[in-house]
Amino acid sequence: MDREQIRMVVALFVVAIVAVTLLALTDIVTREPIAEAQRQALHKALSQVLPGHSNDPQQDVLSVEKDGSVVKVYPAKDKLGELTGLAWEVVAPDGYAGSIRILTGFRPDGRIHAIRVTDHKETPGLGDWIVKDSDWLANFTGRNLDDTDWRVKKNGGDFDQFTGATITPRAVVKAVKRSVEFFNDQHQVILQRLAEQNALPATGTDKVSHGVTK
Amino acid sequence: MTKSEIFSDGFWHNNAIFAQLLGMCPLLGVTTSAENGFWMGAATLLVLLGSNLVVSLVRGVIPKNVRIPAYITIIAAFVTVVGMAMNAWMHEMYMILGLFIPLIVVNCAILGRAEAFASKNSVVDSVVDALAVSAGFTFALVLLGGVRELFGQGELFGFSVFGENYPDMLMFILPPGAFIALGFILAGVNLINRQLKARADRRKAEAVVAEAVEVTS
Repeated sequence: MDREQIRMVVALFVVAIVAVTLLALTDIVTREPIAEAQRQALHKALSQVLPGHSNDPQQDVLSVEKDGSVVKVYPAKDKLGELTGLAWEVVAPDGYAGSIRILTGFRPDGRIHAIRVTDHKETPGLGDWIVKDSDWLANFTGRNLDDTDWRVKKNGGDFDQFTGATITPRAVVKAVKRSVEFFNDQHQVILQRLAEQNALPATGTDKVSHGVTK
Repeated sequence: MTKSEIFSDGFWHNNAIFAQLLGMCPLLGVTTSAENGFWMGAATLLVLLGSNLVVSLVRGVIPKNVRIPAYITIIAAFVTVVGMAMNAWMHEMYMILGLFIPLIVVNCAILGRAEAFASKNSVVDSVVDALAVSAGFTFALVLLGGVRELFGQGELFGFSVFGENYPDMLMFILPPGAFIALGFILAGVNLINRQLKARADRRKAEAVVAEAVEVTS
C-alpha cells in the first residue's frame, strides 16, 4: 500500500471510531429516558382503556402464553385488590401499510371497555381516523362476541368504515375480535394467575396493601 | 462572501426546496400539518449544524477519494443521535415523524451542503450556512405543512381557523395534495423572484442613467 492509501484507511477508521463513540455515549444517556417515555406512553394508553383502578397495571403485568407467543396482560385493580379490568395489546397484521397495534381494555365480564391504537403506519387523512375518531372508537365499548357482528358495515357488520378507507377498519375490527376471543379462551387462566399473584406477599414495593387486605 | 450573503443565499436564493428542489422526501412525507413540518425542520437543523461543523473542521484532513463515505458516516451519526434524543425527550413527535427521522441521512440537501460548502469554507461560515439552509428548509416545510393543514382540515398549528363546519378537503392531506400545493408555492416563489429581479434591474438602469446625466452635465 502506498502512503495515500494508508491515509484513506486511517481517515475512515478515525471517523468511524469517533462516530461509534458518539453513538455509544448517546445511547448511555438516552436509554433510561427512552424506557421512561415508553412506560409513560403505555401508562397513558392503559389509563384510557382500563376501567378505574388504583394499582399500576404495568407493575402487576402477567405473561400469558398462547400458541407459542407471549401476551402481556395488564390487570386493573381497585383499592381492595378486586379486579376491575384487563388489558392487552393485539396486532392487526393486515393493515393497509403494515401492522397496527391496538391496546384493548376489558371489563371483568368480558365486554370491551375501550380500545386505543398505539402504533400504525396508515395513510394520514384516510386510515389514521382509527386514532382520532373517538365516536368510532367508542362504538367498541360494551361489545362482546354474542351480540356483535364483527365486520364493517360494507360487509354487513356493525362497524363503520371510513370514506376511502375500508382495509384499515376491517383489520382493526378483526384484531379486536381476536382479542375478545382471547379473553374468552384465557380468562380462567388469567384469573387463576391473578389469584396466585394476590396470594403472594407484595414484592418489595411501597404498594404492600394490594394483596393483603383481601 | 459576507455572512449576510451566505445567509440570504442559503435561506432564499439557493433555498434547498424553492431553488434546488432537494429534500423532497421529508418535504412531501411529513408536511400534513404545520407542526410536523416545524419539528422535521428542527431535527434537520441539528443534523446539518453538526455535520457542517465537523466536515468543516476536518476539511483538508480527509483524503479526497474517501470524503463521501466519511461525510455520510458523520451525517448518519448525527441523525442517530438526534433520533435517540427525540425518542427520549419528545416521544410523541418521534412516533409521528417515525421513519422520516432516519431518512434525514439521505436528505441530499445535507450531503450537498457538506460537499459544496462546509468542505471548502471556514467553521464559522459553515455554521452560518447550516443555520441559513435549515432555516430556509424549515420555512418551506412549515409553509407547505400550513397550506395543507389549512385547506385539508381547516386548522393551523392544531387551532381551528375556518370553524367546525369546514368541509375537510382530504386531497390536501393526501400525497397528491402535497405536490399540488408545492406547485402553487413554487409558482409564488418564482413570481416574487421575478419582481425582485425586475426591481434590481430597474435600479441598475436608473444608476446608469444617473451616471450618464452626471457625465454630460
